[in-house]
Amino acid sequence: MSQTRSTAAARMDEPGRKPFPIVKALVFTLLGILLVTQLYPLLWLLIYSLKTNDEILSGKFFALPKSMQWNNYKQAIDAHYWQYLFNSVYVTLVTLVSVIVLASMVAYAITRFKWKLAPIVMLVFLIGMMVPVQATLLPIMLIFKHFHIGDHRLTGTRWSIILPYIAYQTPIAVFILSGFMRTIPREIEESAHMDGANVYCTFRSIILPISVPPIMTVCILTFINIWNEYILAATFISAEKFKTLPFGVNSFISQYSSNYGAIGAYLVLGALPVIVLYFLLSEKITKGMVAGAVKG
Amino acid sequence: MNALKVPARTIALFVLPCLLLYVCLVFVPIFFSIYTSTFDWNGIGAKKFVGLDNYIRLFTKDAVFWPAVRHTLMFAVFSMVEIPFALYIATLINRFVKKPNFFVTSYFVPVILSVVIIGQLWKTIYNPASLGGMLNQVLDGLGLHSWTRSWLSDKTAAMYALYFVALWQYLGYHLLIQFTGIQNIPSEIYEAAKIDGADGFKADRYITFPLVVPIFKISIILAFIGSLQSFDMIMVMTGGGPGHSTDVIATHMYNMSFLSSKFGYGSSIAMVLVAVCLVATVIINALFNQVERKIS
Repeated sequence: MSQTRSTAAARMDEPGRKPFPIVKALVFTLLGILLVTQLYPLLWLLIYSLKTNDEILSGKFFALPKSMQWNNYKQAIDAHYWQYLFNSVYVTLVTLVSVIVLASMVAYAITRFKWKLAPIVMLVFLIGMMVPVQATLLPIMLIFKHFHIGDHRLTGTRWSIILPYIAYQTPIAVFILSGFMRTIPREIEESAHMDGANVYCTFRSIILPISVPPIMTVCILTFINIWNEYILAATFISAEKFKTLPFGVNSFISQYSSNYGAIGAYLVLGALPVIVLYFLLSEKITKGMVAGAVKG
Repeated sequence: MNALKVPARTIALFVLPCLLLYVCLVFVPIFFSIYTSTFDWNGIGAKKFVGLDNYIRLFTKDAVFWPAVRHTLMFAVFSMVEIPFALYIATLINRFVKKPNFFVTSYFVPVILSVVIIGQLWKTIYNPASLGGMLNQVLDGLGLHSWTRSWLSDKTAAMYALYFVALWQYLGYHLLIQFTGIQNIPSEIYEAAKIDGADGFKADRYITFPLVVPIFKISIILAFIGSLQSFDMIMVMTGGGPGHSTDVIATHMYNMSFLSSKFGYGSSIAMVLVAVCLVATVIINALFNQVERKIS
């Protein structure tokens, strides 16, 4: 019996390791088609951004530009590109640092301190994860107007978008960080306590350094969400000098709607920072986004 | 040592900064909106208390609202239909591709880009051929001239054009989530199954699919909630037009609140959106809990 089993197993092994070549070819064709549909539009955009208006309108979408129109890029960069980029970096960095500091403090308090309200605080954050963000746009604007954070014409300061950004990102951050901190062994804190470290010291020099992996996950999630955020920025900000990159790209495009090459160039420039980052850190970014999704 | 006993002051110091900011910018706005939704108010003049009138008007007299609900639900259905496909592609990659990272990370690229980049890119692709639109140029090239149209200004085609962009952008996201789920299944299970004669597609049917259900659930919830909220892409691409044919609940809310300055009415739409999100999350969770119990 065992004899026949093992030979049967050996026979079953063959097709497992070497599937029929036709099946394999079909699978790779399918994967290849998907690759083209997912990436070709971006490649097309790159080519588009280097063409003249005439070439774009000629209808030969596949043709390469006769000469590279770098001028499109010059026009785009001259239209406040560096300003928008700086604003995006500034807003994203402030949000990132605030989210990490604030959320890790809450996560620490929820998981390690003994107090009755801890589960309720956690629940408050969990419920918040289900609230659709755009439902808060109007009331936040009305509240800000009331407290004069920003003025009547919606010309907000950077803080008018940074504060909501922090608030939106904290629930998921608290959730991920507290999930991790729950697993840190008590003995570590205990020995720190014996050495005379107080809570603040333990938190800063022991808990935070151990929590670097989940903090990275939070960083990636927050970065992608905030860097790409459009509607809140477009609603709360109108001054040119405060516009973030997505909002800036969009207003450039609505302003120069018939300068096709420059629009393409601005889109490429808008995508570039994230694409470069993704090229360098793709594994970290995909892992972080999946971890965020699965734990959220 | 049990959880740390620390003075209330310390707990407050750790929790309050984050909690206050969060409650003030997520919960207070929601309650404020419930209050605002009972008024007829344009933001400048006097508020006029109208009770539930806004809601009654919304449900019975608003010609845009119910089509918008339909579009929202269709959006959700389309996004969920994509997930089994993503799961199947993920199993194929897992089985046939030795170094899967290349495919998986390439498919993921659209996920990390801002809605503005994605939206404007596809707007350019959907343009009429005479304005350099790729899709129409491709159709022309294939001799399908009768299929060409101005995709986003065609009332019947516009909504489908938008569904497609959302599917395109998030395919890589769901694929990666499922793929990670599949890779976390211990390989011993497959080896044991192989000995029993379950291999290839049979193994998918009896091992991969049942074990991946929890991850599948996460994807479904993300897709559903994401599509209920996905409105910035629509704002970028069509703003709800032409003639309300691409309005979803959230764009209707935005247009009413910020373009028509009907703050009371806009708030009532926002509250409906919040309610739909909360109820939907609860229902999907309950459904999947049943499915999981049946399988295990």
